[in-house]
Amino acid sequence: MTDLSHIRNFSIIAHIDHGKSTLADRLMEECKAVDLRLKAEQLLDSMDLERERGITIKATAVQLTYTADNGETYDLNLIDTPGHVDFNYEVSRSLAACEGAVLVVDASQGVEAQTLANTYLAIDAGLEVLPVINKIDLPSARPAEVKTEIEDIIGIPAEDAPEISAKNGINIHSVLEMIVRDIPAPKGDRTAPLQALIFDSQYDSYRGVIVYTRIKEGTVRAGMDIKMMATGAVYKVVEVGTMNPLGLTPGTELGAGEVGYITASIKNVADTRVGDTITSLDNPAAEPLPGYRQVQPMVYSGVYPADGAKYQDLRDALEKLKLNDASMSYEPESSIALGFGFRCGFLGLLHMEIIQERLEREYNLDLITTAPNVVYRVTKTDGTVLMVDNPLDYPDPMEIELAEEPFVKASLIAPQEYVGNIMDLAQQRRGEFKNMEYLDANRVELHYEMPLNEIIYDFFDALKSRTRGYGSLDYTFLGYRPSKLVKLDILLNGDVVDALSFILFADNAYPRARKICEKLKDNIPRAQFEIPVQAAIGGKIIARETIKALRKDVLAKCYGGDITRKKKLLEKQKEGKKRMRTFGTVSVPSEAFMAVLKLDEE
Amino acid sequence: MPILTKRINKTPLGIYIHIPFCRSKCQYCDFYSQPCKDDRLMDAYLDALCAHIKEAGALCPGYRVDTIYFGGGTPSYYGADALAIILTTLRRNFDVANDAEITFEANPDSVTDRLLHRLKAEGFNRVSLGVQCDNDDILKKLGRPHTYAQAVTAYQRIRKAGFRNVSLDLMYGLPGQSLHDWKETLENVLRLNPEHISCYGLKVEEGTPLYEIKDFAGLADDDTQADMYMAAIEALNNRGFRQYEISNFCRKGLYSRHNTKYWTGGEYLGFGPSASSDFAGKRFTMVRDLQAYIQGIRTGGNIMEDVQEIPLRERAGEYLMLRLRTTAGIYAEEYERTFLLPFKPLEEILLKYRAYYRTTQSEDGRWSLTPRGFLVSNDIISDLLIAQDASEPLKKL
Repeated sequence: MTDLSHIRNFSIIAHIDHGKSTLADRLMEECKAVDLRLKAEQLLDSMDLERERGITIKATAVQLTYTADNGETYDLNLIDTPGHVDFNYEVSRSLAACEGAVLVVDASQGVEAQTLANTYLAIDAGLEVLPVINKIDLPSARPAEVKTEIEDIIGIPAEDAPEISAKNGINIHSVLEMIVRDIPAPKGDRTAPLQALIFDSQYDSYRGVIVYTRIKEGTVRAGMDIKMMATGAVYKVVEVGTMNPLGLTPGTELGAGEVGYITASIKNVADTRVGDTITSLDNPAAEPLPGYRQVQPMVYSGVYPADGAKYQDLRDALEKLKLNDASMSYEPESSIALGFGFRCGFLGLLHMEIIQERLEREYNLDLITTAPNVVYRVTKTDGTVLMVDNPLDYPDPMEIELAEEPFVKASLIAPQEYVGNIMDLAQQRRGEFKNMEYLDANRVELHYEMPLNEIIYDFFDALKSRTRGYGSLDYTFLGYRPSKLVKLDILLNGDVVDALSFILFADNAYPRARKICEKLKDNIPRAQFEIPVQAAIGGKIIARETIKALRKDVLAKCYGGDITRKKKLLEKQKEGKKRMRTFGTVSVPSEAFMAVLKLDEE
Repeated sequence: MPILTKRINKTPLGIYIHIPFCRSKCQYCDFYSQPCKDDRLMDAYLDALCAHIKEAGALCPGYRVDTIYFGGGTPSYYGADALAIILTTLRRNFDVANDAEITFEANPDSVTDRLLHRLKAEGFNRVSLGVQCDNDDILKKLGRPHTYAQAVTAYQRIRKAGFRNVSLDLMYGLPGQSLHDWKETLENVLRLNPEHISCYGLKVEEGTPLYEIKDFAGLADDDTQADMYMAAIEALNNRGFRQYEISNFCRKGLYSRHNTKYWTGGEYLGFGPSASSDFAGKRFTMVRDLQAYIQGIRTGGNIMEDVQEIPLRERAGEYLMLRLRTTAGIYAEEYERTFLLPFKPLEEILLKYRAYYRTTQSEDGRWSLTPRGFLVSNDIISDLLIAQDASEPLKKL
């Protein structure tokens, strides 16, 4: 075990594209942790999707061995954090595993809004936040001004912040020296009862679940019986060790202050929830570490294979994804319109998009997804209470005594010139203004209470576009509040398409119904007959569009030279039709479903 | 008599000659052609074309040519001498039937009495004249280098020269053209009393000058084009024309024998850049580049693009897509016999369309599209192709 004084646990936080992953790579290189020949760009973001989107979805950690200028050798544990409001809880747990955070700020862009949410999380977690000015080799770099900005806006000293270029390896050494010098060494008693914080876990088909953990108190070693304090699950430790950039290094024990992994033949990541405390079965800790909460899916959506025959493939893929992602849920459901599929629960919209993209990409599935919705609480006239996560389960209006929807406390931060825009937006989304405070001369934080439903669609995107990217959003669940809710049904050629039904706030029903009908009209190809597109609430039609009958779809000329081309055209048309879903007599392409999901974009 | 029997058994063959030259390029045209005044280039092309015909003729002893079609571009612009030399070369190197249908396309601005008399004497017996419409403003907008009056004069010259099988090309859905305008055009053109009329709905092709301005060119929408199409069928039917293909109408059985080969699986050879062939089970196209074509012929290099051997299953798809362009349509019995595929899955779709939308019709196992069906033929044919894809070959006939 390394002496506590020779351990530093830290994470790197940054605005997107300010160079977090590149800096992580350089730190690893500088510590000779990575053989250059084996190095893939940005080792920490190991998912393809993460690399492409430039965001970290799952946290990971690596241990670096660094010999400092003072001649001493230190264990540096770098714990990566996800970077999106959907994963705020995961971020907070990763930060709770650290004593310090390196804040990377782009020397030309300066402080930006996305940096702030995580910086405040880090400050709230009691971390030492150390700024680093990156990309100083760019001609537009203005390190002095950016340092002042950091001091003014965030309120941490930045005068001595290292000026670096992660891309070109400039001044990386000074970052490492700063980490050793300024981040406090961890504290803890290695003889105390075990308290180990789970900050991530990952399923491995050979070893079972690999639990990534920070030991807060006590010591864990192979053969020990451990207990997860929240889930109550008990296991015998098979192996402990540390993470290096290219794999796991088994060790004999992990003691307080250290970051490492535990394997214990755990079959299910659901038993190793992020934020839970691992303790010893024989000598348990009196209390778990603070801050654990069970993450609940906030957003639900129906996920169906575009090709009905791929249902089993979709099930297999979801099972595999679930092994690695305890925050996702899925349950079989069936729709008259779409056949067999799954009702899936997600932390938020980004989480949903990521899962859907992984299903399509890694498992090669074509999906049709239904509009996302939150979980509604309905009290029926007979007194029974239903949690409705699927519009199809929404009771008849006559049977409803009380309908409630989830509300959140939203905090919106942006430069003050965007306050007007944010207020407009929040009001449109039924936000109830609570108060506003100036964080500094320029930046303002607004507090709202608003329905979660209004946030899950595209609120974050709308906020970004109205604040030129400066706005940041954070929200926490408040509770259920009574609301005027209705279920909107969509009819094509007179038949209800169940997969298009959804629940919404009554006052929004008319404009939304009109928009949906318009979108469907634009996205459903004309057929040889006229197709009415209608929106209805409880049998009453509130909007209607008509898809006119197809009158012309013909190639006027087809002589010798046109035949091959004409064949290709028909082939394309044929393949397009094969991908459509038929509802009664109407063929609907999957783009139509997508279009309905992206209703608020204009 | 064995020799005579053998000659009769020769396979019929259509020949298409592409003339890639025009006086000027029309705004909507996406054929391979270019405005050309360069005599040297035009002569070089003539040499190459004749050399190509000689080479190909040597490979086709089992065929008798019963249709020849000179298209373009503008064959009449290429001149009587060149066309006569090509035809003579064809006759020398292929077995051209005495009663072969020999067509050339002409534009009103390049139809002279001298040209007509020469070509008539050479054995050309069918003329396809590009009229397009009777409104000079529209003709100008389209970049046509002639007026309607010139088209009428050209037509009269053709008649005077003794051609008794004349086709007129018309277009609808043109910039600024109303349904009323189109009906008037039809009336005016019908007064000329041609044997054959082709009516093409304007299709704005990517890469043409018209494509760039399509949004503000005053083009008819799909519904108006559909009305124009139905109006054409009505007007032509009333004047004794029989529709035999989506865009083609004729009197007295004078359908285009050459073009009909395209829709009924006949064999044809195309000469000249961009010309296509369906020959000996293969489809292929000549390189779409005049210089490359000439060079290829001179040096013995490759001038073919996209050579495809078409498997029977794909021929079955072609059968549907091409035959259903014609009013003769498809035959259940012929389909099953030729492709060993069941007709029943197709029939179910055809029946549905007949019952619900009257877009198909049938008679004694022969199915064809109605005029309204022609208008949505892509929709119907793609449905049929899906059913065909899913069908299992017949175990026995």
